[in-house]
Amino acid sequence: MAKEEGILLSPGRKTRSSSFSLSSSLPQNHRTFFSHTHLELLHGHCHSEESISLDTLTSSLPGRKPQIHEILRLIGPLNSPMLPLLLYGGPSTGKTISVLQTFRYLNRPFVYAGCRTCYCPRILFNSVLRQLLIREKNAGKGSSGARRCEKPSEFIDLLRISLIQVVNALRERNLKLGSEESDRGNMIYLIFDNVELLRLWDKSSTIVPLLLRLSEILKIPELGIIYISSSSPDAYYLCTGSIEPIPVYFPDYSLEDLHGIFMRNQSNPNLYSSFLSVVLKPFYRVTRRVDELSVAFHPLFEKYCDPLSDQCLVLDEAMKRRLFDNLQPHLASSLNDVFWVPSWASHQLKQEGEHRQKRFWKSIRKEASNELDFHMSMSVKYLLLSAFIAARNPATLDASLFDSSGGSNNPKRKRNLQTSLDKKDNMAEEILLKGPGSFPLERLLAIFQCITSVAESMVEDDHFENDFAIENENFQLTSDVLLQLSALCNANFLCKSGSCPLEGSTRYRCTIDEEMAVKVARSINFPLSSYLYRR
Amino acid sequence: MASEKTLALLRRRLCDPSFVYSAFKSSPNGNYSKLKFLISNTITEACNNSVLLLGPRGCGKGAVVDLVLEDLKSELPEIISVARLNGLLHSDDNCAVKEIARQLCMENKLLFSKMASFDDNSQFMIDMLRECGLAHKMIIFVLEEFDLFTQGKQRLLYSLLDAMQTLTSHSVVIGISCRMDADQLLEKRVRSRFSHKKLLFTPLTTDDMQRLLEHLLYLPTDSSLPSDYLKEFNSNINNILSDNKFKEILDLLLAADNSISNIQRFLYQAISSMHFQTELLTLDDLKSAFSYHQRQPMLDKLQDASILELYILVCMNRLESREQDSYTFNSVMKEYKAIQDAYKTSDNYSKSVCQRAFEHLIERELISFANNRLRNLSVEYRPVRLLLSSQELYQSLKSNASCPAILQRLLNYETYR
Repeated sequence: MAKEEGILLSPGRKTRSSSFSLSSSLPQNHRTFFSHTHLELLHGHCHSEESISLDTLTSSLPGRKPQIHEILRLIGPLNSPMLPLLLYGGPSTGKTISVLQTFRYLNRPFVYAGCRTCYCPRILFNSVLRQLLIREKNAGKGSSGARRCEKPSEFIDLLRISLIQVVNALRERNLKLGSEESDRGNMIYLIFDNVELLRLWDKSSTIVPLLLRLSEILKIPELGIIYISSSSPDAYYLCTGSIEPIPVYFPDYSLEDLHGIFMRNQSNPNLYSSFLSVVLKPFYRVTRRVDELSVAFHPLFEKYCDPLSDQCLVLDEAMKRRLFDNLQPHLASSLNDVFWVPSWASHQLKQEGEHRQKRFWKSIRKEASNELDFHMSMSVKYLLLSAFIAARNPATLDASLFDSSGGSNNPKRKRNLQTSLDKKDNMAEEILLKGPGSFPLERLLAIFQCITSVAESMVEDDHFENDFAIENENFQLTSDVLLQLSALCNANFLCKSGSCPLEGSTRYRCTIDEEMAVKVARSINFPLSSYLYRR
Repeated sequence: MASEKTLALLRRRLCDPSFVYSAFKSSPNGNYSKLKFLISNTITEACNNSVLLLGPRGCGKGAVVDLVLEDLKSELPEIISVARLNGLLHSDDNCAVKEIARQLCMENKLLFSKMASFDDNSQFMIDMLRECGLAHKMIIFVLEEFDLFTQGKQRLLYSLLDAMQTLTSHSVVIGISCRMDADQLLEKRVRSRFSHKKLLFTPLTTDDMQRLLEHLLYLPTDSSLPSDYLKEFNSNINNILSDNKFKEILDLLLAADNSISNIQRFLYQAISSMHFQTELLTLDDLKSAFSYHQRQPMLDKLQDASILELYILVCMNRLESREQDSYTFNSVMKEYKAIQDAYKTSDNYSKSVCQRAFEHLIERELISFANNRLRNLSVEYRPVRLLLSSQELYQSLKSNASCPAILQRLLNYETYR
């Protein structure tokens, strides 16, 4: 198995390539990138793969022993035909890796095509055909070059031809076997991964029935097909019925299984198991997925080990209690985080290498999250805020909130605002339910002009008091602003909504949430809350 | 090893559709005999014919056609050529005619050009029909998924059936479809050229079922297995088939789906458990195979959900029971916060964590968006609905060991008293 350098690499995140290569240790950053050509090369060099024993197989995938046994039973002994299988279960439950490892143990030729990397039928067909071609080459026969196909009928023809050639090649190879090579059988297996994505490809599709009935259409007994899916089998019932594949269910990991998974390949098992006994149960109530838990545990484990000078210490009860007390406050805040992304400020602190106390650590995190992580120009920020205001406020309030001079300092205006706000009680409920509304372009630009003229007057007042100089930008409606509007659309801060058929003008929606708007407003000292309709 | 050979033999049998359906070859009123009679009559009388095979999925239509064609080819080798089309692949006319031309070329060892146009191909087909008619040969067209050919303008069907009307052509068109009303889908002009012969595949009677099981499970006496093992195996099978418990299991299985393919899958699962353990097929194998058929995916998914996800589901159920037609994630969060304020449980999490759990539920298809129109809004504002009933939720909460008792109480309140 791949060696880790003391960093936790949970099997749920292990790529196929890292589990195949024995001696190279893949750095953690490469885990999500799955290269198609890499897999083809692996198939090409399938002779040099070492096969594993059944014990290694079951011990490397804790909690999956019954499922692996079921798969082995259903696939059957060498050279025995099989009915199609459907493996289903939630995401991150180890379906793909169980199948691939099982095939490594069985040492039988297979072709793997994932419907996530092959995102349209043409790419899926070409990928399957290309892998079969490589397999043919390895079995010793010459090939007639790459074949391309677009339509399902061509695909079935070419697939049939390729499969028959591969099967013949395998049969000939098995006849000429020496004593040191193992018999890999006459059968070839197709594995289709992420089959649930097929349903989204094409609404009036023929691709789902085609793929699910592949074995009936081809009628080749030496072909075995395995489908891997996150949806249950009832998602694949078609209107005109279908022959169902045999389902195998992969339940989510239980607490003991998760414990087993995280304990694998730990440099200090005692320390980690005491850490897990503290941390696993509370997090288990929130989520049971291995990938999310591993992301949450990694920084917590570092904090847990902070007070320890020597990591190889054997822990006694007092020590455990101390470590637990140390960790406790972080636990509560970590439970409420989705994941913690260290900003550049805390990176710098790490590089300085100082040991921070937990209070300061927390304040760093808070400060970092209160600032915007990226730079926007002033007019873009105003534009964004006006979009946010336009989205959140009902249009009828605009007259009370803004006037041509832009000021809401007028006391009479404030009284009017309050009365009009009182009348719209159930508007708050609606806004809560329906979310931010859409607004036409004219309204956006009108609000923009109002608030920037206010800002201009505020800037002139403050100019003599503060040291930093805001350039007196010309906030008139130039074409620059409209260009920046399209830039905001491209960055998905605004998006186009359906246009009203009567008026014909396009409407926009604002997709940022309140947190971000508050951050933007704070960065330019804009009183956002006085403009928002709030209950 | 005898058991390994048995296992291999049984698996090979079950994965081969022609073997499975050949159990009914010998019955005189069966569809096999009827189809064979029809085709051989057409050959001897040198005329044209068309027939539709209709029946639900997995009842053996394609297998019967294969068996008949195989037998006829062995009896009358030079006379028959077959062109097979599938509605999933060849519903487009260009594609279909090209495929027919290709297959006819392959059978008769002619050169096929990929560049030929639609007109060339259809002209070739007509010429081929004429030539075969003059040479007393027969072309059989097998159209699988026949109902998919009836979409659009039905040009292919019309041209095929029209070409059959000439005196010199000599062909049979066999349509296979799982829609029982496939002939109603034909256009008027096509239907008038179609002889209204239909072979219906009806569900099996209990005698037929018994015959099928014996055909599939008994080992043949002329195989290479040791004879005492053979006798033991066959007598064991006999005992199982006559056991009442087995009959109960079979009834339950067939009550849901009484097609032959269902039995085929059930036996396959039972037999594959022979791989590791025993030498003989036991009733326990059959029982465990049956339990796989009884899985309920929704309840399984609910068992897999974490506690926070269960909270969210319970909140949504409460909102639905108050007959709120459409609610969004924000309303669910409001309900969740209200519950946390009222009961002060330890499961009070922030909005982003709850949103992540909400998105997990959408991935698992326990909840879904109520309509696809508002796709541009973010997840919090789109209306959602539950995909499971209160009964299922209640049942799974009861059977979940680690579920906090408060969830069940919350579910009960306002729904059941």
